[in-house]
Amino acid sequence: MTTQITSARPAAGPRKGSRRRPPASSATTVGRPGFAWALPAAVFFALFAITPLIMVAVLSFMSWDGLSSPEFVGMDNWSRLMDDPVMVKSIWLTLLLTVLGVVVQTPLSIVLGVWAAGYQRNRAVLSVIYFIPLLLSATAVSVLWRALLDPNFGIPADAAWLFGDGNLFGEQATAIGVLAFVSTWQFTPFHTLIYQGAARAVPHVLYQAAEIDGAGRYRQFFHITLPQLRNAMITSMILMIVGGLTTFETVLILTQGGPGTDTTISAYYMYDKAFKSFDYGTGSAIALVLVVAATIISLIVVRVSGYDKMRSSMEGVS
Amino acid sequence: MKTRARLPRLVACGATLALALTLTACGDGDGGASADDGKIHVLVYGDATNKVEKQLVDTFNKTSDVKVVLDTIPGADYQKKLQTIISTPQAPDVFFNWGGGSIKPFVKAGLLMPLDDFIKKDPGLESNFLPSVFNNAVVDGKPYGIPMRGTQPVLLFHNKAVLDKAGVQPPKTWDELLDAVGKLKDEGVTPIALGGGDVWPTQMWFQYLFDRIAGPELFAKAVGGDKSAWESADSKKALNMIRELVDAGAFGKNYDSVKYTNGGSVQLVASGKAGFELMGSWYYSQQLTDHKEFAEKDLGYTAFPTVAGGKGDPGNVAGNTNNYYSVMKKTKHPEAVAEFLKLMYSDEFVKAQLDIGNLPTTTNTDKFIETTGNAEYSRFQYDLVADAPSFQLSWDQAYPQKASSDLHKAIQQFFNGQLDTDGFVKAMQALPTE
Amino acid sequence: MRRRPNYLAGAGSLFWLFLVGLPLYVMLAATLRTRQDYAENGPVSLPDSLTLDNYTGAFDSGFGQYFVNTLVVTACVIGIVVLLVPPLAYAIVRSRGRTTSAIFRLFLLGLAIPAQAVIVPMFYLISEAGLYDNLLGVILPTAAFCLPMSALILSGAMRDISPELYEAMAMDGATPRRMFFQLVLPLSRGGLSTIVVFSALQAWNGFLFPLVLTQSDSTKVVTLGLYNFQTEHGIDIPGLLGAVVLSMVPILLVYLFARRALVQGLMGVGGK
Repeated sequence: MTTQITSARPAAGPRKGSRRRPPASSATTVGRPGFAWALPAAVFFALFAITPLIMVAVLSFMSWDGLSSPEFVGMDNWSRLMDDPVMVKSIWLTLLLTVLGVVVQTPLSIVLGVWAAGYQRNRAVLSVIYFIPLLLSATAVSVLWRALLDPNFGIPADAAWLFGDGNLFGEQATAIGVLAFVSTWQFTPFHTLIYQGAARAVPHVLYQAAEIDGAGRYRQFFHITLPQLRNAMITSMILMIVGGLTTFETVLILTQGGPGTDTTISAYYMYDKAFKSFDYGTGSAIALVLVVAATIISLIVVRVSGYDKMRSSMEGVS
Repeated sequence: MKTRARLPRLVACGATLALALTLTACGDGDGGASADDGKIHVLVYGDATNKVEKQLVDTFNKTSDVKVVLDTIPGADYQKKLQTIISTPQAPDVFFNWGGGSIKPFVKAGLLMPLDDFIKKDPGLESNFLPSVFNNAVVDGKPYGIPMRGTQPVLLFHNKAVLDKAGVQPPKTWDELLDAVGKLKDEGVTPIALGGGDVWPTQMWFQYLFDRIAGPELFAKAVGGDKSAWESADSKKALNMIRELVDAGAFGKNYDSVKYTNGGSVQLVASGKAGFELMGSWYYSQQLTDHKEFAEKDLGYTAFPTVAGGKGDPGNVAGNTNNYYSVMKKTKHPEAVAEFLKLMYSDEFVKAQLDIGNLPTTTNTDKFIETTGNAEYSRFQYDLVADAPSFQLSWDQAYPQKASSDLHKAIQQFFNGQLDTDGFVKAMQALPTE
Repeated sequence: MRRRPNYLAGAGSLFWLFLVGLPLYVMLAATLRTRQDYAENGPVSLPDSLTLDNYTGAFDSGFGQYFVNTLVVTACVIGIVVLLVPPLAYAIVRSRGRTTSAIFRLFLLGLAIPAQAVIVPMFYLISEAGLYDNLLGVILPTAAFCLPMSALILSGAMRDISPELYEAMAMDGATPRRMFFQLVLPLSRGGLSTIVVFSALQAWNGFLFPLVLTQSDSTKVVTLGLYNFQTEHGIDIPGLLGAVVLSMVPILLVYLFARRALVQGLMGVGGK
């Protein structure tokens, strides 16, 4: 592939000869790629992700059922959404599930990731099993757990001391619990992987020094491992937040937003409005709320953590 | 490290493949439905019974110059997808629907072809079907659908062994049902299995009780736009009876966690953990596949009980009246389409449908019933439907599709107590009727 | 490396093993049982029947074709991602222009766009382009939605390449292109394999785009096949799970094969 690409773009000068050429005058631009390198990806992305997003924004000011032609209705969709108790509820539910996801999955995947970062053979074998949920589609995961949690023929029937009458999907608290659990089951492996990688990258010297100082395992964990995992934590949390805001298939298959509207999170409500009620305008407005919320939260996390500064600080070194 | 050597090759393979495939993919643009390719595209709900549709298409294509192409969309997404493509060039020529509210918005948008002309040329397209069924696809006085597949009335099924043990007879009246609920509860079984997680099974109880107490007129009025119907005394009476039944523990406590669609409620009845289940006529073949022994030995069925003092005729039924083929105005081959629709009352069609357990609603169905595998059950259903003064179409299909989500929410919330009677009435009044 | 075994973490990992293992066992066991056995004894019990019908059944209902389609989609998505992302990530890490930094921000924002939010306009775009019910119509948006995450992963990996290496090459008068091919690509191999695995997963498990953008059997992918299977066969859970397991096999192989590279990619392989 390498040769294909190079031959596709004729080199600026004789390749062999360029090796000995002295550096150009401006030190900062030498050997730095221009934005043209980023252009193909940017154009492609703009075409297939940004364009539809702009169309969504326009649609949110229109009334459209997919049959007649769309009509501009100004702020109608938006003002109706503001007064819609289900919309307000769905935002709270979305936040709740997202926070639950972060709070449960972060410690779990840190512990598992650090553990799996060890080099013993049994860990390697176990790790392979741990990560299997990652390979299943959300559809498959949800179908599987729905069967397992059946009140009469699944696990709850055999463990009444834990599940009571097994009405997991019939009450808000338990239905939310199930959703949070299934997301955890499905996504913890991915985040574990992130932490495992980061934990392996922690320099051994730090631990050796700590042991000489007589620091115990837990002190080592809290004073060396955790601080070293900071960047991994940021990446993982952004992904969790965005994932939480856009959870969809799990709700669609496990609860359909029910009982009533008790698990109707915003992403599902959008789908409900657009594809069940054929109110594409309102659906688009909800979609836009979601995109904006996810963007703001990601930006906050990025700013607070200084993730976007990382580049410039590294550049400063060079 | 091994991965070092492997990866670039993997990447190179991927890129080459991508290029090659992009080129070929561009080359063959014939996939799926396109605007006009000299063929008729027929779009059908995708499920196990598609083989009959395929068979009929083959029969048709043997003699016709204009060929029919059968496209399917998996069940749960059928309606959504249909509405997405119906006003685009990808729209089919003929499509499957449920009549009633499911085609009303399309008629309003001027997309469908009234079938009067077809019927004028071949009156058989109307006269060969049971009128109560045919009329369900009449919108604003004009026919828009030809019945296809079969009728699916909702029946009250039971486990004979469980009922015997509790000393209960299959109930003929509402009071007998309440009595049976009490006795079954004493036996420690859930009296009535209900897949509340799917919501539409819950809806069946509303459909029947409203019909028994107020007659079909109340719902017809409500869905026609007269929302005061929901506040009427009859409406509240029906709601109170539902409340009473739920509060008596007829459905146990965890019905909202049970689904029909994952086999949960089916299994409850088959394993003797529940006595009754109200379900569409497809229930029989479902039990036969999942629990053969039980279905052959202990599965019983009756019509929905009568309610003393109710205004509705005790012979009325509720359920899926039928499915229909409707024709798009834009079709380029109306003559061929008309010929194709004639197959829907042919002997071949009726036999094939009966063979897979569907019950067509053509007038010639009668003479083939005795030849089917389960003649007794088919006969029971056919007589029930043929004799019914009124056939209540499922509520979520009678309402326009856009109302169904809110309708389901209201039904589930009233049933589990989150909404009281007034709350339910308000929710129903808020539903769009056109 | 450490002397005492870590009991707490060990217990935690065993618990997780149970949580992950039980459902996987149930799934595998269910696929080997007859439908009646499963229906009567429930998912958690031991099978009292053994059958391979659930697997052959899946193949009979057209899964062979679906597999081919999914492979095509996956290969093309990987191809597009691998062609577009490395230059992008290289520019993000090395370029100092404002335009590049704006592009990077665009992709960061892109992380927050849920696919289902744009599905309605997407249908019209693809349909206008004449790609409805064509695999290419699934490939393009799927690849587009893989880009932000892939860019993030790969630029993370490339960031770990030490600046001294660039400087050394710059001393030699290397052009950006030469640095890219001789330094950046070889040293970000781990990141590359991570984005390959990531986009493969996305494409293989993709559901919403194929659902909305395809229609006929000849363009059906495996996830849709699964979904279809559920409606066509009513409530045949063992059959459904058999299809699920089958759909998992190829990606499991890829995963086993690329797992090392995946973990290393997340670590940032060029760091040392």
